[in-house]
Amino acid sequence: MFKLALRTLRLRKGGFLATFVAVFFGALVVSACGGLMETGIRSETPVQRLAAAPIVVGGQQTLELPKEDPATLEPDDKHKLENSTLPERVRLDAALAARLRAVPGVANVVGEVSFPAQIGAASVLGHAWDSAVLTPYALTGQAPKPGEVVVDSGLGLAVGDTLPVAAHGSVGQYRISGIAEAPQAVRDPALFFAAPDAGRLSGHPGRFDTIGVFGGDVAAVTAAVGDAGVVATGGGRGAFEFPETGKGGENLIVLAAVSGGLSAMVMVFVVAGTLTLSTQQRQRELALLRAVGTTPRQLRRMVLGEALVVGLLAVGAAVALGPVLGQWLFDQLAGHHVVPDVLRFEQGWVPAVVAAGASLLAVVGASFVAGRRASRIRPTEALAEAAVERRWLTPIRLITAILCFAGGTALAIVTVAVMTGPVAASTAGPAVMLWAFGLAAISPGVTKLTATLLSWPVHALTGVNGRVALRNTRVGAVRAAGAVTPIMLAVGIATANIYLQTTQEAVSNQAYTEDLRADAVVGAAVGLDPSVPARVRALPEVASASEYVTSTVFVEKPFDSGQDDDGRSALGVSELSGNAVEVPSTLGHHVGDTLSLRLGDGTPVDVRVTAVVDQRPGFEKLVLPAGLLAPHTTLGLAPQLLVRAAPGVDSATLASRLREATAGLPVFVGDRGTLIAAHAKGNEVGAWVNYLLVGMIIAYTVISVVNTLVTATARRRREFGVQRLSGFTRGQVLRMAGVEGGLIATIAVLLGTLVAAGAIVPFCLVVTGSLLPSGPVAIYLAVLAIAVVLSLVAILVPAWAATRGRAVDATSIGE
Amino acid sequence: MTTEAVRLEAVRKEYRGVVALDGVSISFPRGGFTAVMGPSGSGKSTFLHCAAGLDRPTSGRVVLDGRDLDGKNETYLTKLRRDRVGFVFQAFNLLPALTVEQNVVLPLQLAGRRPDKRLVARILAHVGLDGRRKHLPGQLSGGQQQRVAIARALVTDPAVLFADEPTGALDTRTAAEVLGLLRDSVRSSGQTVIMVTHDPVAASYADDVVFLADGRIAGRLARPTAEAVAERMTHLGAWDRVAA
Repeated sequence: MFKLALRTLRLRKGGFLATFVAVFFGALVVSACGGLMETGIRSETPVQRLAAAPIVVGGQQTLELPKEDPATLEPDDKHKLENSTLPERVRLDAALAARLRAVPGVANVVGEVSFPAQIGAASVLGHAWDSAVLTPYALTGQAPKPGEVVVDSGLGLAVGDTLPVAAHGSVGQYRISGIAEAPQAVRDPALFFAAPDAGRLSGHPGRFDTIGVFGGDVAAVTAAVGDAGVVATGGGRGAFEFPETGKGGENLIVLAAVSGGLSAMVMVFVVAGTLTLSTQQRQRELALLRAVGTTPRQLRRMVLGEALVVGLLAVGAAVALGPVLGQWLFDQLAGHHVVPDVLRFEQGWVPAVVAAGASLLAVVGASFVAGRRASRIRPTEALAEAAVERRWLTPIRLITAILCFAGGTALAIVTVAVMTGPVAASTAGPAVMLWAFGLAAISPGVTKLTATLLSWPVHALTGVNGRVALRNTRVGAVRAAGAVTPIMLAVGIATANIYLQTTQEAVSNQAYTEDLRADAVVGAAVGLDPSVPARVRALPEVASASEYVTSTVFVEKPFDSGQDDDGRSALGVSELSGNAVEVPSTLGHHVGDTLSLRLGDGTPVDVRVTAVVDQRPGFEKLVLPAGLLAPHTTLGLAPQLLVRAAPGVDSATLASRLREATAGLPVFVGDRGTLIAAHAKGNEVGAWVNYLLVGMIIAYTVISVVNTLVTATARRRREFGVQRLSGFTRGQVLRMAGVEGGLIATIAVLLGTLVAAGAIVPFCLVVTGSLLPSGPVAIYLAVLAIAVVLSLVAILVPAWAATRGRAVDATSIGE
Repeated sequence: MTTEAVRLEAVRKEYRGVVALDGVSISFPRGGFTAVMGPSGSGKSTFLHCAAGLDRPTSGRVVLDGRDLDGKNETYLTKLRRDRVGFVFQAFNLLPALTVEQNVVLPLQLAGRRPDKRLVARILAHVGLDGRRKHLPGQLSGGQQQRVAIARALVTDPAVLFADEPTGALDTRTAAEVLGLLRDSVRSSGQTVIMVTHDPVAASYADDVVFLADGRIAGRLARPTAEAVAERMTHLGAWDRVAA
């Protein structure tokens, strides 16, 4: 059977081209996503500034939290723990550096601090000069004394100039005493201060971000460090220099998994379609095989064998090119700041194997579908003239459709009945897939039905061409469905994803705007000097001013069952002081309760509930005193001050008064609009990810639609020949094909919109209360336009080719 | 081993309300060359499909090579066809991807048996195509393709060889060659051949002609001549009233 499969392939190369293309592109995407996932899992960050120190010690950024309520566990039960990543920098004591110097074999121990600084508009990192050996920087000039600074050679400044440097809330004038050059690329330009200045400007004198150790044995150093920190060597040091890569790696893993999984599922659909099409092409051959004595099982094996050979070739090519696409995707994501650009893209052999396996599995699954159809071909069809389509409804299709629709309905009910707030979006993705799967399982029937429903408008708009086109679509429903299904999938997935995104953005922006009580904001990238709030409050135009600090905290006691490994959002404001906390009512606490928290850098603190507030669902946060929260953030200072105008004061007056009050400080003053715009910008990153995902799926379905329609139409050469012999001109045949293309597009768009609605409507009902999503209609229209143009081109070009030559030749028996 | 190759008992076949075969009972002895004749729509092809196990009758019984086909599943029927039955259709007999030789041994390969090279050579020589072993069907004429089909039908030494209008697409000289081949295999190797045709000249090559009209047996004729067959044809069924 296998040899027969091979020979058939050699002869009918063209027929299998569609399958090859479909598998190739699907496997390519899956392979690239595999590379992204490997990159995320490895989270390899090449070390830049700490390259010279063979051993680096950093803070313990992992926090262990119990997964179950300890009070409910028996004494013998194992406590299940989950790891959370602390979002703020955990710092090391100078005493640890002293301890490490005492370890035998250690030649030098250098502590390092980094703090944000600004020269004019340029953002740089400030350090203490003695940490320059960690890179190591080469010095031209003199080491800095207090009041002096050594600048990075990349800044293009000269020795002897005086530089205004903004750091830790204020601006100081420093004389440039030297220029430092790094032997390798370092992401952030450096400024080196004398030790006392660095300590002051960092905001936490006596504490280091990381400690570099020269000489010494790793085991001895680790033992000396103990619980006070984490030791890293080699490639692991990069994570200390760029702690954001931990979370960034996680995001990449999730993104890659979702994209890759979606692509694999779409691939199963598409390949099942192309294989079925190629089986239909060879109906007479297969019927002959059955007549001569091929059992249904042998026929299924032959179809499987053919599919595997084509699949192996396509997968081989795809995994070879996978890293190319993976690198390109990674560059796009890093360029748009979706993932940290300091991550190194890695695609080894593991993603290749996984992608190959997943793709081949998809091919095997698809060939089961095609093989079942093939094995049910009756031998008497070898003798039949007309290619009448078989009954398409099998029990499996029906059961699949019923289960999928039931699942989609269940998700919709659950979303509307139970969910509140943005979390309702989590059911939308699976809902789209379920509705799409269900409709695809019964697509011939749905295609037929929709074509029938459209018959009145088609009759009205087109003449006899339209009638024939309608008939062709209804009678040839399986063939038409082969083109409708991929377009429906693309329209459904694209519309659902894009409008989900736009609605979420709109809701988030609206929530922010409604909750925003401020009329103006005073902010600084290097933090606000502690004198600023007092200065601002002293102004008569200001009704109130509150610091605004955001961070994350982790609730340890009492056990918080609703908390996941991302902790709880926290907000620091000036109105609270001491260790008060305001909690959302959804947490179930009462005034007077005590909570044991870990702040963003892991510092334990006990707080007392002073108020329980009904907060907007989905945007709940714990409100803490700014004075408690700010010192435990990486920045160390409040980054923003929100200002409320006194009655009767307009925003322009307020802004100018604020600028006067903060003159000489490195702050910017903005109004409500600035705040809202900044918030909206933050949502864009997530949007960009969505668009990338949608773009890939659409590109893949476009390829498969073209594939299918081209193959199917070329096959109808004989049918077109018969039409022309019965009196249709070539132009009329082409117009008929055009109407068919339009029909296919219309049906696919209608069904795709239904699929998208199945996911979007429940979500919108929950978050906005209306049935329709928020977002520009232009997107929907663009999707429609693409679907229509695609169908028309993919059907007209092969139809034009198939109607060349004489009609009589096309209808002759000799194929 | 019975003396009958095929027996039909009260076989009835209906398609969507149309009665194709209406209670046909007949048996065919081994070693004979029988032609089944009738005008279009008489049920000839349906008759052949049911007799060969390609299709299941709505009611009635078919016994092929001593085996009752009633209630057997598709795999059983397929294996029976593969091992004990040969087919020659009017057109599209060969797989275009396989050479002549590969087409001929196809039933043996499907059964997982290694083809005997001498047997294959003998059969190809018998049909006059041993010089064309490695050719593809696309390189052969219509008559040559039919001869390859006959070779394949004979390669398993079947109990019955069913032919459905084997000369329908051929010119008279090639048709005569093909029919001669069929008769030859009956004479020299005792092969049973049942041929469905509407051509009286083709029927005259047979030992025996069975006439079908409107789904029923309408008569038999032994040692047929082309003229006698043609004369009988004009009186079949409803035509009888017209012609008279």
